[in-house]
Amino acid sequence: MSANVSMRDALYEAPGPKTRRRVAIGTGISVVLLLGLIAFVIRQFYVNDQLNPRYWSFFARWTTWRFLLRGLAGTIRVAFTAGIIAMILGLLLMLGRISHNRPLSVACHVITDLFRSLPSLLLIYFFFLVIPKYGLRMPSFWMITVPVALAASGVLAEVFRAGVNAVPKGQSEAAMALGMTHGKITRKIVLPQALRIVVPSLVSQLVVVVKDTTVAYVVSYPDLMQNARVLISNYDALVSMYFVVALIYIAINYATNQFSIYLAHREGTSIMSRTTENPV
Amino acid sequence: MAIETATPVIELRHVDKHYGPLHVLRDINLSVAKGEVLVVIGPSGSGKSTMCRTINRLETIDSGEILIEGTPLPQEGKELAALRAKVGMVFQSFNLFAHKTILQNVTMGPIEVLHTPREQAEAEAMELLRRVGVDSQAAKVPAQLSGGQQQRVAIARSLAMHPTAMLFDEPTSALDPEMINEVLAVMVELAQEGMTMVVVTHEMNFARRVANRVVFMADGQIVEQNSPDEFFDHPQSQRAKDFLESIKGH
Ligand SMILES: Nc1ncnc2c1ncn2[C@@H]1O[C@H](COP(=O)(O)OP(=O)(O)OP(=O)(O)O)[C@@H](O)[C@H]1O
Ligand SMILES: [Mg+2]
Repeated sequence: MSANVSMRDALYEAPGPKTRRRVAIGTGISVVLLLGLIAFVIRQFYVNDQLNPRYWSFFARWTTWRFLLRGLAGTIRVAFTAGIIAMILGLLLMLGRISHNRPLSVACHVITDLFRSLPSLLLIYFFFLVIPKYGLRMPSFWMITVPVALAASGVLAEVFRAGVNAVPKGQSEAAMALGMTHGKITRKIVLPQALRIVVPSLVSQLVVVVKDTTVAYVVSYPDLMQNARVLISNYDALVSMYFVVALIYIAINYATNQFSIYLAHREGTSIMSRTTENPV
Repeated sequence: MAIETATPVIELRHVDKHYGPLHVLRDINLSVAKGEVLVVIGPSGSGKSTMCRTINRLETIDSGEILIEGTPLPQEGKELAALRAKVGMVFQSFNLFAHKTILQNVTMGPIEVLHTPREQAEAEAMELLRRVGVDSQAAKVPAQLSGGQQQRVAIARSLAMHPTAMLFDEPTSALDPEMINEVLAVMVELAQEGMTMVVVTHEMNFARRVANRVVFMADGQIVEQNSPDEFFDHPQSQRAKDFLESIKGH
């Protein structure tokens, strides 16, 4: 089962000498352009006096980093909690939607589309401004986590459904022919295979969750973004601070993506062979 | 002809089915007696698979009636599942559960449907795997087996349910030539043990050897039926003559 590993080989022919030369030239041009862009950015920073030590010196202080790391911890806590809730809720929504119970199926379909199409900021305002009016006060952690989770659950329900649809029809037909019921077929045959298929896209969706958490400042929850804003007003250092925070977000999401690629490669090989090692 | 008993194991009465404008099954009447081996043959698109799949309701029908041991096929739910459990089905593409081992494939039905204790299910499964000659592969996953081995496992998986009848939809069509015989051998043995079988196949030697009756389908209709020797040596209809001529080519 090396299908995933050799996907590149299947999609692209191995390059010949001419192609390789063209690739080398292309790479050269890209590097030059990229260096030019970086030089331009640095120049613009310089021209606008953004390289002034005044804007950067506070990064040498531990307290700055401690404050940012606390924010990062907040971001991770929200993203992780919201991710878990979204997965469970997304799975339930998908199961409801594919069930043979017509009203349940329609309800789950509507809820999925609703969560998917509402901007998460709108959901956050709903939990921040509307719900408290009716007497339900939530800590700010939940005011950001719940709406982010709801928005993601709609998307994840669709991801799960794509996985279910990707399981060949013959699998459930064979199970039907054995006399298994719809519920058992879903649990024992379809879901285990569907989950393996969707693991990589599931992890990629966590990137969206992490990005959604950046509006936590709306509810004054101290996440990375909120703490960065506090530092910005303290030191009056907008550009340098946003620059560093952007790098941190890029690093988190890059790591998440790498993790999903790693899982995609593992998915075909070791999960299958692990099943072989424990026959029962 | 096979031994006739009061109630046929499988009976189709005036079965009709459409796919949109396409009339795939036209007034099909067929009854299969206990212990009978029925071979269904016909050109591509004539409705052989569709007929086979209606018998355990993998396809619904528009009108008519299908009875298993005299009981009308239920429409849905637990009753349908229970009746399906009595009719084994072997597919052209094997359809072994890809995430389960060979042994788990065979124990799935007994454990999940018949609620057989695991130990007993496994012992029976190993015995069946021995019978079809793949017991040494029990701990592997389907992707690690050859097509012929996978199809023999699929037969064992069906047999584990102690079915009263078995349906085969072109069980050897997806196999490399050298693997066809190992699968046919298992089916011949089953037929000789008295299993009631409906087999869609173009394997004429198999049909001559074990079939009690050959049913020829074209354009969703049963055009003629006869004993294998009569059918292959003296086809009555022009459609059957043309068809037999066309498959003699290879
Ligand atoms: N799900 C479907 N939707 C629409 N048309 C279908 C569907 N399944 C089969 N058909 C059509 O119904 C007709 C009968 O198909 P069927 O698979 O029963 O034929 P067959 O005799 O088994 O042919 P083959 O020898 O190629 O397997 C064909 O014309 C086919 O294209
Ligand atoms: Mg067919």
